[in-house]
Amino acid sequence: MSVSPATPAPPATAPAPDDGGLLRAIAVTKAFGGLVAVEDVSFQIPARSIVSIIGPNGAGKTTFFNMLTGLYAPTAGRIAFDGRDITGRRPDRITALGIARTFQNIRLFASMSALENVQVGQHARMKAGLFGSILRPPWVRREERETRDKAREMLDYVGLDSSVHEQLAVNLSYGDQRRVEIARALASDPKLLLLDEPTAGMNPNESARLTAFMRQLRDERDVTILLIEHDMKVVMDVSERVTVLDHGTKIAEGEPATVRNDPRVVEAYLGKRESESADETGETTAEGG
Amino acid sequence: MDLSMLGALTRPLREIVANKWFNRIAVPVVIGFAIVFPLFFVGASPFINNTVQALVYVVMALGLNVVVGFAGLLDLGYVAFYAMGSYAIGWFGSEFLYPVNHQKGVHFLVSRLPGSLPGVHINFFIVIVIAAALAAAAGAVIGLPTLRLRGDYIAIVTLAFGEIIGNIAANGDQLHFGQYTLTAGRQGITPVDVPNLPGVGDFSPLNNRPWYYVALALVLIVLFCNVRLRDSRLGRAWIALREDEVAAASMGVPIVRTKLLAYATGAAFGGMAGVLLSSYTNTVNADSFNFSFSIFVLAMVILGGLGSIWGVVLGALALSYFNTYGIPDVLGPFLKNFGLDVTQLGFGIFGFVLVLMMVLRPQGLLPERRRKLEMTQGIGADESLVEVNA
Amino acid sequence: MEAASFAAGRVRRASALAWVRGLLSSYGLYVALLALPLVYGINDLQHAHNLTRLGQNLVNGLSNGAIWALVALGYTLVYGIIELINFAHGDVFMIGSFASFAFWTTLGLTVATSVLGLVGGLLVTLVVSMIACGALNVMIERVAYRPLRNAPKLAPLITAVGFSFILQNVGELWLGPAQHNVSDLIHAQQKVFSISGVVVNRSDLLALAVTAPLVILLTTFIARSRLGKAMRATAQDPEAARLMGINVDTTISAAFALGGMMAGAGGLIYALYQTNIWFFQGFRAGLFAFTAAVMGGIGNLRGAVAGGLIIGCVQQISDNRFGSQWTEAIVFGYLILVMVFKPQGLFGEQTREAG
Repeated sequence: MSVSPATPAPPATAPAPDDGGLLRAIAVTKAFGGLVAVEDVSFQIPARSIVSIIGPNGAGKTTFFNMLTGLYAPTAGRIAFDGRDITGRRPDRITALGIARTFQNIRLFASMSALENVQVGQHARMKAGLFGSILRPPWVRREERETRDKAREMLDYVGLDSSVHEQLAVNLSYGDQRRVEIARALASDPKLLLLDEPTAGMNPNESARLTAFMRQLRDERDVTILLIEHDMKVVMDVSERVTVLDHGTKIAEGEPATVRNDPRVVEAYLGKRESESADETGETTAEGG
Repeated sequence: MDLSMLGALTRPLREIVANKWFNRIAVPVVIGFAIVFPLFFVGASPFINNTVQALVYVVMALGLNVVVGFAGLLDLGYVAFYAMGSYAIGWFGSEFLYPVNHQKGVHFLVSRLPGSLPGVHINFFIVIVIAAALAAAAGAVIGLPTLRLRGDYIAIVTLAFGEIIGNIAANGDQLHFGQYTLTAGRQGITPVDVPNLPGVGDFSPLNNRPWYYVALALVLIVLFCNVRLRDSRLGRAWIALREDEVAAASMGVPIVRTKLLAYATGAAFGGMAGVLLSSYTNTVNADSFNFSFSIFVLAMVILGGLGSIWGVVLGALALSYFNTYGIPDVLGPFLKNFGLDVTQLGFGIFGFVLVLMMVLRPQGLLPERRRKLEMTQGIGADESLVEVNA
Repeated sequence: MEAASFAAGRVRRASALAWVRGLLSSYGLYVALLALPLVYGINDLQHAHNLTRLGQNLVNGLSNGAIWALVALGYTLVYGIIELINFAHGDVFMIGSFASFAFWTTLGLTVATSVLGLVGGLLVTLVVSMIACGALNVMIERVAYRPLRNAPKLAPLITAVGFSFILQNVGELWLGPAQHNVSDLIHAQQKVFSISGVVVNRSDLLALAVTAPLVILLTTFIARSRLGKAMRATAQDPEAARLMGINVDTTISAAFALGGMMAGAGGLIYALYQTNIWFFQGFRAGLFAFTAAVMGGIGNLRGAVAGGLIIGCVQQISDNRFGSQWTEAIVFGYLILVMVFKPQGLFGEQTREAG
């Protein structure tokens, strides 16, 4: 059985790039003062996979994301990405190494156009500095042109036609804002894309399309995807592996079908009353599969 | 005053600025006009004199605009960079350091007169470069402690730095380094070297025209830098940081480096303006490095519209002329009816302008598109940073 | 388990720099604050073989600091509730001095007035100054801050600076640009008693006699009264407070009123203590008091008082040892140190972010 409560931490050697894990978190802990938000979580994502983290509200999922992207430095533990130790590195460095993300409550640069938002996403891949920006030599002009073209391409790729490219992010519809955010993240050429509740606020139709899009991304662009998701249908549908966090610790991990039936998971989600609600969840996921 | 009236007044202007032909036709025309018009005035004309000062303020306002307007870092200590520029010309372009080289002086690319005086005398234009570098370094040093602070704390820390530098300038005559002191204290440094530029005439108090052209050239350079920076990778990163630090960092924008570049760039322009102003007024006056100077420049940026380059130019010219003409010639007679002496009202009027602008039209006269959204709809209101590990 | 501890070790070693920074932010400010009295205490012992001079510095510092404490309370009250640096607050304090002077002159108080008349007259002056400054502060909030409550923080900060300039100009028109000597009603520099050479003057007693009861009244009011509770609730979560039926506008006005009253009292003490007032006194006082408020943990009333007393001592030591022309630079240096290494203050902050 692949489901095991909090598998013992792997041997404490430098994470090798060739063991199939694009990202490895080893015994990661984050405490805010006395409050432990994430405790001793070990975790790995194989390259070119789609993996979900689920768990009830306040389980520490977003905190975990924030550690992966460098917004928080872990209190203890290590994180390795693509064969490099990225524990406690700055967020911009981590983005440059190839991790990009979206946010639970969309964080676009509201007063910038969709296009400019995606151009900011390419910051780490550009070189123009202070004097380059002022003097604008030919290579900077070329770089600007290329970024603009690439931003348009990204917006097209996520399904936004050119009529919205110049619109200010704040004026876009909710669904389009989500797309721009994904385009902005993709613009940094990530190897790993972290999506924080990407289907929040979407109807089943939109969710299904996004699910298909995630697969397409993985297949066409070799992007590994890690998502936090509440919509069980999406989780069961798209993920190859699921990790369940509760109260900051990992309580289960494995294939969606197995995790779904894990009693600890059911309990974490539903408290003591297991019977009816559990069946409901089961039904939804069954439909999805 | 009515809000909509103010808006209606500037609308045609705003439309012109927004027009893409503006840059192709209007800009060369305005520059051409700026080059020709002093020829219609005598060299000692007080109007040209006031215009030179106005242009220096344009340079400072454009510099502050990089920090406050682009990057959204409220700097209340901008006077520090004016002071750095002033002391750059004070140290390297006057007799202040007279003991140097056995009182024979050190000279570098200067004309005959300063070339025979004791003290360090370096070519004016090289001093401008030195001042830019000094001020940029000071800007980065002042910026460093503010990096992890909330917006209003940044304002207070920069204000404190500005006051400390003013305090050191005013009492620097008590700080001895061998035969030298750091500054001349409240006594000030005077006279100060003037530029030496063949072909534009004598730089003297009686002939303001060459000063005007140097000031105009500086404005054009700084304007060029502002425009280029706004539409660049760096400009976008500043706006991104201003709007959402967490998202910007997650998109690969290095917070520390990008903020420090904003401080340093803005400071460099302030330093350059400081050299010119001190040379033009022929003195380095420690008493002028005070908080109200910072606010004067900030008011220009706000009046014009935070982040809006043409707005800031307009705001600086408007407030500067308002100061030299509007207050004594227009408001003066008006206020006299109420028994008020306008010469005692200078900073109160500026305070009033600040309050009025913020309450009635926080986006400024020629608002920048984004800032208008932010100021009127509260977009991008500061959200405290969780814990960016920068 | 082994892996976990190993990993923890790695993190710790990797962030030696962060460790130094942590150490500085934990103890740096204490060291910087204690350095002054320690260095000069040792210095005094070596040269004069007693601590009289340092003791005198501290006594003067504490009484002077009482004024900063009163002003700091206004900053901390307002910041605690709406997270706004009321930049005009120092100038409200200045207006307090001016109003006190004007009022006691109207009352006809002079150096020759009898003790009873003086005490009564000054008490009335105190009340008048407090009411005037409270009302002024409320008015400023209505005109300059309330319309901007949903704007970016930058906007009200700028109107605050604008109002500060306006008030300074009012002061300049009122009593002229020069420093103005006021009659020394209480014979401020008259010695009351001394302990082993450390002299306590009337001015020192006055500052203590006015400040202590006011601070006790204020903290009791905030802790016990309905309005005080509403203020604390609004400080913690304005949205929830609104939902609970608290009138947030009234509560904010109350904070400004109370802050203004403290500044008014401070203004009177300052005038009697220094016997010298001018339109620009509020700028320096405001920044000193703001430093005190941040040092005490902004939003924390007792902290603000402690911060005020500390700043008073720093100021006195600096005035006496380096010369008063350097005091501003030194206090502002502390301001930067506090902001950078301990923005939460020495005693912890009580604002939304922290709680």
